[in-house]
Amino acid sequence: MAEALVIRNLSKRFGGLRAVQDVSFSVNEAETLALIGPNGAGKTTSFNLITGYHRPDAGSVSAFGRELVGLRPHDICAHGLARTFQVARPFGKMTVLANVMTGAFLRNKKPEVARARAREAINFVGLSAKEHSPARDLTTIDQRRLEMARALATEPRLLLLDEVMAGLNPAEIDQAVALIGKLSQRGLTIVIVEHVMRAIMAVARHIVVLDHGQKIAEGDPQQVVANADVIRAYLGTGYVHGAPGGGGC
Amino acid sequence: MHRLSSPGVLWLGILAAIALVLPVAVPNAFAIDIFIRVLLFAFIGVAWNLMGGYAKQLSLGHAAYFGLGAYTSTILLIRFGVSPWIGILAGGVVAMLASLPIGALCFRLRGPYFAIATIATAQVLMLLFLKFRDFAWGAEGTTLPNLGDAPLMMQFESKAAYYYIALAMLAVGLAVTYRIERSWMGYYLVAVGEDEDAAEAIGVDTLRIKRHIYLISAFLTALAGTFYIQYIYFIDPNTAFSFNVSVEAALVSIVGGIGTLWGPVVGTVLLEATSALLQSWLGSGHGGVQLTVYSLILIAVILWRPTGLIGVITDGYGRLVHPGPARAQEAPLDG
Repeated sequence: MAEALVIRNLSKRFGGLRAVQDVSFSVNEAETLALIGPNGAGKTTSFNLITGYHRPDAGSVSAFGRELVGLRPHDICAHGLARTFQVARPFGKMTVLANVMTGAFLRNKKPEVARARAREAINFVGLSAKEHSPARDLTTIDQRRLEMARALATEPRLLLLDEVMAGLNPAEIDQAVALIGKLSQRGLTIVIVEHVMRAIMAVARHIVVLDHGQKIAEGDPQQVVANADVIRAYLGTGYVHGAPGGGGC
Repeated sequence: MHRLSSPGVLWLGILAAIALVLPVAVPNAFAIDIFIRVLLFAFIGVAWNLMGGYAKQLSLGHAAYFGLGAYTSTILLIRFGVSPWIGILAGGVVAMLASLPIGALCFRLRGPYFAIATIATAQVLMLLFLKFRDFAWGAEGTTLPNLGDAPLMMQFESKAAYYYIALAMLAVGLAVTYRIERSWMGYYLVAVGEDEDAAEAIGVDTLRIKRHIYLISAFLTALAGTFYIQYIYFIDPNTAFSFNVSVEAALVSIVGGIGTLWGPVVGTVLLEATSALLQSWLGSGHGGVQLTVYSLILIAVILWRPTGLIGVITDGYGRLVHPGPARAQEAPLDG
């Protein structure tokens, strides 16, 4: 299977803080990969490094065969990588439709075409009823939906979702999981940063665990949740998922 | 393409008809002078609003382009005998060229820092023209040669002619805004104004779109500069690069409603009318009273309607001002 995203020896420091240290992993096309770890582990920083918001001190990021380090975020989006933000950032005074159209203009500058594409994306995330609402009036989950629709409207090949489920209730998490499943079925490659383990186990085929900016484990979900380091650093000894993996410290 | 609804066309027709007969209906030179100022500042406001309103790049240095337009056409006229009709376009081009390095410097900054940097650019240009005495008459400025009625040299006996030129410029400014608002550019500008990082994430080249709108805004502002100097027959650095022009451009848009097609027009009409009325009621005898009242009204408006007075009008009648990307409330971008 072809590799969609390859990250090699990525490092970034902010002053004395080593936010990301020598991290490498890769994502196959049409695969869903989850990036997990405690707060401050470097997950969001990794996203910012991949999508051009920060410039790495060392290492390389390549997607679909092209080096991304040094490109600006909009170039990276044009190359087929779309992201969402941890805290949703809708264009508040625009309607839902106008928000998503702004994304669709990347591929086609004609308003009618952009409008049609935007409607598709809005429909896909289940936000059609609120097409004409100002984005600032949306609830948290609807703002997340909007972000996803806006990202999808840019017609990405790889979608990076930063904690799309934070702050959602269990029913909403189920909806979000279903949505990500649907995207994955359409052949989209997905990288997801998440804390909700239930959701991760449902969507991810591969998990990378970060702690203090370093990769401490990697593998399929069952392997990772059984890993002693992962339990110590992140999941906690109370976390039991099937196998009685080496608990305690 | 978005169609204007028929009530919109109707209102626009009524407005245009009133604007066209106004100098005939009110043949008072003093009144026409006020009308011309209203049209001119509305036009400058429209030019400013493209960048300051839609993309929220709060420039307080548009006098730079006003002055460059004014000086370009005046130098061409006096030194080379070139008609201001050509000079006005040359001034626009000079302003566009100047906006590139100015933009490259200022767009590195955001928010208030950007505003301060733009003030500095206009001030630096003013100083340059104050010091370059051989090149452009220095601080004392110069009067324009009075050629009597010379339409080809943009000089007219009747004030009405200037009125119609200003009206035409405003119409052009509004038409440009209308087209931009409904195109992808309008959406990109509002997106930049709302959240630059989020705009980048969905493929908006924020630096490029800012540069482009700055070019257009500078060009239009320069036209106003040439026109104004042709109208008052005098130029000096303090007039051409007046900080007042920069402030007024922003003020009329903010009071009227930034990021809306008609906001700067509404703002100018209200501010100029208020200012003119206060001046005639309170006169100059009370020294500064009229300015104080004017400022109080301004503060009241900004506290009461921080999004601009246009909202008051559109709340009552939401048709004339058509919803672009910036106008979420009144439904559709469909249609």
